[in-house]
Amino acid sequence: MLEVSDISKIYGTRRVVDHVSFSVPKGEILGFLGPNGAGKTTTMRIITGYVPPTSGTAKVAGFDVQEQPLEVKRRLGYLPEHPPLYPEMLVRSYLEFTGRIRGVPRKQLKARTDRAIERCGLQAVAGRLIGVLSKGYQQRVGLAQAILHEPDLLILDEPTVGLDPNQIVEIRKLITSFAGDHTVILSTHILAEVTKTCHRVVIINEGRIWAADTLAALEARGGAGRMLVHLARPADEAVAALRALPGVASVDVPDARDWGLVVSQRPGQDAREAIAALAVGRGWGLLEMRPLTRSLEDIFTEIVRGDPQAAPSAGVATPAEDHGGAA
Amino acid sequence: MRNVLAIAGREVRTYFTSPLAYVVIGVFLLLSGYIFWASLVRFSELCLRFASNPYFSSQLNVNDMVVRPLFGTMGIIFLLLLPVVTMRLLAEERKAGTAELLFTSPVTSGQVVLGKYFGAACLLLVMIGVTLTYPILISNSGAAPDMKPTFVGYLGVLLMGLALLAIGLFFSSLTDNQIVAAVSAFGAFLMLWVIDWMSSSATVTLAALMNSLSLGLWEKAGLGTGGPTLGDLLGSLSIIGHLNDFRKGLLDAQHVIFYVSVIFMALFVTQRVLESRRWR
Repeated sequence: MLEVSDISKIYGTRRVVDHVSFSVPKGEILGFLGPNGAGKTTTMRIITGYVPPTSGTAKVAGFDVQEQPLEVKRRLGYLPEHPPLYPEMLVRSYLEFTGRIRGVPRKQLKARTDRAIERCGLQAVAGRLIGVLSKGYQQRVGLAQAILHEPDLLILDEPTVGLDPNQIVEIRKLITSFAGDHTVILSTHILAEVTKTCHRVVIINEGRIWAADTLAALEARGGAGRMLVHLARPADEAVAALRALPGVASVDVPDARDWGLVVSQRPGQDAREAIAALAVGRGWGLLEMRPLTRSLEDIFTEIVRGDPQAAPSAGVATPAEDHGGAA
Repeated sequence: MRNVLAIAGREVRTYFTSPLAYVVIGVFLLLSGYIFWASLVRFSELCLRFASNPYFSSQLNVNDMVVRPLFGTMGIIFLLLLPVVTMRLLAEERKAGTAELLFTSPVTSGQVVLGKYFGAACLLLVMIGVTLTYPILISNSGAAPDMKPTFVGYLGVLLMGLALLAIGLFFSSLTDNQIVAAVSAFGAFLMLWVIDWMSSSATVTLAALMNSLSLGLWEKAGLGTGGPTLGDLLGSLSIIGHLNDFRKGLLDAQHVIFYVSVIFMALFVTQRVLESRRWR
């Protein structure tokens, strides 16, 4: 559905987007994650054709954004960072206006407007001036404007900013309901957002993609193979005995008081059964054994901090080394 | 066309839901109405004074004494008021971020320009349309103006207003600051008004100018140094100068062509400015 290849954007001497490439298949929700000023908004603006890239191409449904902008824009719903609202208009007439310039057929205009109003929960304010609405409602009007014409590709720049927790849940449901028929890209700097709605995540920082993977794969990365083994009866020989097991790489005792042992397995080997058998056989009282996964938060912070362990690994990202010569 | 109408319709609605349209139209009507009334009073006074003299009273003409000054006044009020009408057209969209909606919709920049322009033109039509009541008001009195030259005068005022709107729209496309757009449009309007003040003193011919610019090549090429002077050129650029014949009731194609080309040029350049966003 969307193919971004090797896009860069330079403002003056500042490289805001640096050789970004990714693609999104139809029906998927892609989360665009990064700290403020990472280049999320610029990338999205390039995809929508609002800002031209310095180099590289973006294709929506096979149409190049620069070469055939109208074809691309016909398939696009876009909610910018600041919802593009005319404060002096009524909610309903604003939505009808956006439907009209988005090419919704005259006969369907009213039905589509009603549907967008209903989906975004705007029934109560449909007849009010946009300028007097609260930030949350304005955000929802912006979202209604983006989905009104049932676009193939929906681009949402920080869609839940300024909403209260209830509204955030509603908007998330709405976004999730859009996957399948439509493709969605949403940007955010809130991790929970991504965990709850997205299929895949692209982590972007300083204009570069640092990681692009499914959520599960990202969480497993680095955390794979480590588990917490919790014993009821402390036994001094436990650490040594566990270390002696063939599948175990190392055993750490982060906190000596409660015998929670962090066991790292050797890559590709599963030592869980052996650990369980050993613990039961020696009567240590195995209370708990669970895989340790790092939260997206940890991964994100590590990646953004430039932790060498979490830094982009093979085949995923495009750090400077790869393109240093090209730039 | 549908996109143009949607944008123009929204523009008109914005004008008339904000106080702007009412203030602009109100000020325009107040000033033009006052001038009209003042010249009418003067005219009737002169009529009374020379009522006993059939020669003088036959020389008094309501078109010359009332309608013509009215159009001149309208032209000058336009210079002052129309920057306020055009300043927000594109500058505000940029400032408020709604440009992002407009330019990510399947709408060409030409359609945006035309939509905006037609929207402003509607406001101008209303402004001028209301003043049609002035000549109609006196058409049943003894001072009934001749309607044909009056309508020609209206056509001239309308064309001039449309030309100013197009120039104002261009300045609005250059910035996201409405004040900057208004001031530069106002400056351009004034410049186009006073540009012909030089026309009688700038006696150097254009050909002579070209000759010195091309280091004498012009004359060597046998192109001559006679012909129109620089003053002629400046004089024919005057936006108010072209209104004079209309005010007299003379419909001359050269003036119509002047205004239409100004409109076309300004809109074209505006479209290029918007389009430049795609490669900047």
